[in-house]
Amino acid sequence: MATVEQVGSAFTEPGSSPAGTSPWRLVAYYFLATGAIAGAARFVFGLGATTNLNDGYPWGLWISFDVLTGVALAAGGFTLSAIVYVFDLKEFRPLLRPAKLSAFVGYVMVVLGLFFDLGLPWRLWHPLVMWNPRSVLFEVSWCVMLYTTVLALDVLTMILEAREEERWVRILRSIYVALVVAGIVLSTMHQSSLGAMYLLMPEKMSTLWATPALGPLFYSSAIAGGLAVVILEALLGARARRRTPDVELLSSLGKGLAAALLVTFAMRVTDLYARRVPVWSFDGPHLLFYLELFGTVALPAALLGFFPAVRQGRIGLTWCAGLSAFGVALNRFNVSLTSYAGYRDFRYFPSVAEFAVTLGFISLAILAFDFAARRLPLHAPTP
Amino acid sequence: MTKAMLIDTTRCIGCRSCQVACKSWNELPAEKTAFSETGSNPRHLDASNFTRVLFLESPAPGGAVRWSFVKRQCMHCLEPACASACPVGALEKLATGPVVYRDDRCIGCRYCMLACPFQIPKYQWSARVPYVRKCDFCADRQALAKKPACVETCPGEALRFGERDQLLAEAHRRMKASPGPYAPEVYGERTAGGTSMLYLTAVPFQALGLHHRGFRTDLGETAVGQASQAWMSGVPWVALAVGALSTGLYHLNQRRHRVKEQEEKGD
Ligand code: SF4
Repeated sequence: MATVEQVGSAFTEPGSSPAGTSPWRLVAYYFLATGAIAGAARFVFGLGATTNLNDGYPWGLWISFDVLTGVALAAGGFTLSAIVYVFDLKEFRPLLRPAKLSAFVGYVMVVLGLFFDLGLPWRLWHPLVMWNPRSVLFEVSWCVMLYTTVLALDVLTMILEAREEERWVRILRSIYVALVVAGIVLSTMHQSSLGAMYLLMPEKMSTLWATPALGPLFYSSAIAGGLAVVILEALLGARARRRTPDVELLSSLGKGLAAALLVTFAMRVTDLYARRVPVWSFDGPHLLFYLELFGTVALPAALLGFFPAVRQGRIGLTWCAGLSAFGVALNRFNVSLTSYAGYRDFRYFPSVAEFAVTLGFISLAILAFDFAARRLPLHAPTP
Repeated sequence: MTKAMLIDTTRCIGCRSCQVACKSWNELPAEKTAFSETGSNPRHLDASNFTRVLFLESPAPGGAVRWSFVKRQCMHCLEPACASACPVGALEKLATGPVVYRDDRCIGCRYCMLACPFQIPKYQWSARVPYVRKCDFCADRQALAKKPACVETCPGEALRFGERDQLLAEAHRRMKASPGPYAPEVYGERTAGGTSMLYLTAVPFQALGLHHRGFRTDLGETAVGQASQAWMSGVPWVALAVGALSTGLYHLNQRRHRVKEQEEKGD
C-alpha cells in the first residue's frame, strides 16, 4: 500500500496558487472568443458557408483534429489506469488523477467538437436508440458516450471529495473496479475502431496508410499519444501551477512512451513490408510519411529509449513528449485527410472559421483543465 | 425479386433526357449551367443532381474518335457500403432493389459519403438543416409499379428496368449476339459485390479511365462494407477478453497487496 506521503511526493509544493492573468491565459481567452464567434457563425450560416468542406471532402479539420486527434491524445486516462491497476505499477499513481481529468476534458471537447461538425447535431443521441450493429461508427459513438460518462463519474468523485461529501464518495468508490475495467474495455474498443472506420475506403487512400492493420495501429499510437500528453501536462502544468514535477517518475513513464512508440514503429514497418508498399519516393505523401514515421515515432523512441540523459532532463522529456504527441496528430491527419489527395478533382484546405473553432477548442481545453486542476484534489490518494 | 437497371451505353445518344426526368420527378431545383470541356453537364453530381451523363472521348480504330455516354447515378449495391457505414441505419437496401435514405434518422455525420466506393451520397451543404441526397432508384415510383423516371423517358432504349437476373441474362445475350460493339464485361455484375446498375460499354471501363469519376475498376468482387462487418464481429470478443483480463489482474493485484500487508503485520 502506498501511503499518503508517497502519493503526494510527485509534487513537493502542496496547495494551489492563484490563477492570475499570465500571458498564455490572455492568448487562450482571445482564441476562445474568436472560436465562439466562428462557432456561432457555423450555426447561423450553415456548414457550407463557413467551412471548406465539400462533396469530395466531407470530413475535414474538425474530424481530423477535434475528434480523431482529440480522442487519441486523451488516451492517457485509460492507459494510466491500466498501468496502475492491471500492470500493478503503483508508483505511477500520482499521475492517475491528472490523467483522468485531462481525458475527461478531452472527451468533452470531442463531443462538443462533434456538435459543430454534425449536420444535424441535435440528433447526437440517435445512435442510442437507432441501432446499426454492422457499423463501426455506431460502436464508436456508443463507446465514446459511455466512456465520457465513466470519466465524468471519476471527476465527480474528485469533486465530491473536495466538498467532503463522504457518503457519496463511498458510494462511488464501491463501483470503482467497474469504472476502471469499463474504462479500459471501452477505450480499447473505440480507440482501435476509430482506425477501423477507415477500412472501408482503402481504394481512396494512399497505400502508405491504407492498411488492414489500421485498428491495432490506432490503438498503439493512441497509447503513445496519451502517455505523451500525461508527461507534457505534468511538466507544463507544474510550471503554470508553480509546482515541482517529479521528473524521475515522469522519466520512467518516458520509458513506457518509448516502448509504445517502438511497438508502433515495429507494427508500421512490418505492415508496410508485408503489403510490399513502395516506401522510397519523394512525392508529397512520402515526405509526410517520412516525417511521421521517422521524425515523430522513431526519433522520440530512440531519444527516450537509448539516451538516459535526454529522458531524465526536463527539457529533453518535454521535447520528446511534444514530438510524439505531434506525431500522433500528424498520423491522424494523414489517415483521414492527406491520404486522399488526388483521388478525385476536389480540393480541401480548412477555412478561417474551421481553424478558429479548432483553436477555440484547444484554448477551452487548456483553460478548463487548469480551472479544474486548481480546485480538485488531483494529488490525493486514489484507492 | 430484386430489381435492376441495364444501362447499355452503346445505345445512349447523350440526350440527357434522363437528367431532366430525374430533376422533375424529384423536384430538384434547376440551376444555371456553363459549358464544360467535355460536354458533360452539370459538372458534378451533387445534392440537386442525382444523375449525370459523362461524355467521354476515346480513340477508335483507324484514328477516329469514339464517343461514349456513360450515365452515372447511385449504383444500388447489393451490399451497400453506405448502409454498413451509417451509425443509425439511415441507409438501407430494400429487398426490392433500391438503396433508400431516411431523412428522419440521419445525424449528418457524412461517413456514408466517405465510405461509398462510387462517390454517390452528396450533402446539402448550403442548407441550415442539411440532409444527404442521392438517387433512390425511384423507390416511390417502384412502389406504384412504375419504372424509374429516367428509364421511362429514355428515347434510345439505353436504359432497361427489370429483374436483376433477367437483365443480366439479357446483357450476356447482347454481348454474345454481337460481340463487335461490346467490351466483354458487365460492370456491376460482380463489381464490389454486385450492384443493381448493370453497364454494357463499347470500351472496357478500365480503358475509359473513370477511376476518379466514380467508376473504379479496382474494387474487386467483395462488398466494401464487409470490412466493417468483419471488424464488428471481432469487437465483442476483444471486449470480453480485455474485460476479463483486466478484472482478473485487478483482483489478483489487490489480493497480493492484502497478503503482503498481512505478512508485514504478522512479522
Ligand atoms: S450522414 Fe446520415 S445517412 Fe450518412 S452515414 Fe451519417 S447518419 Fe448515416
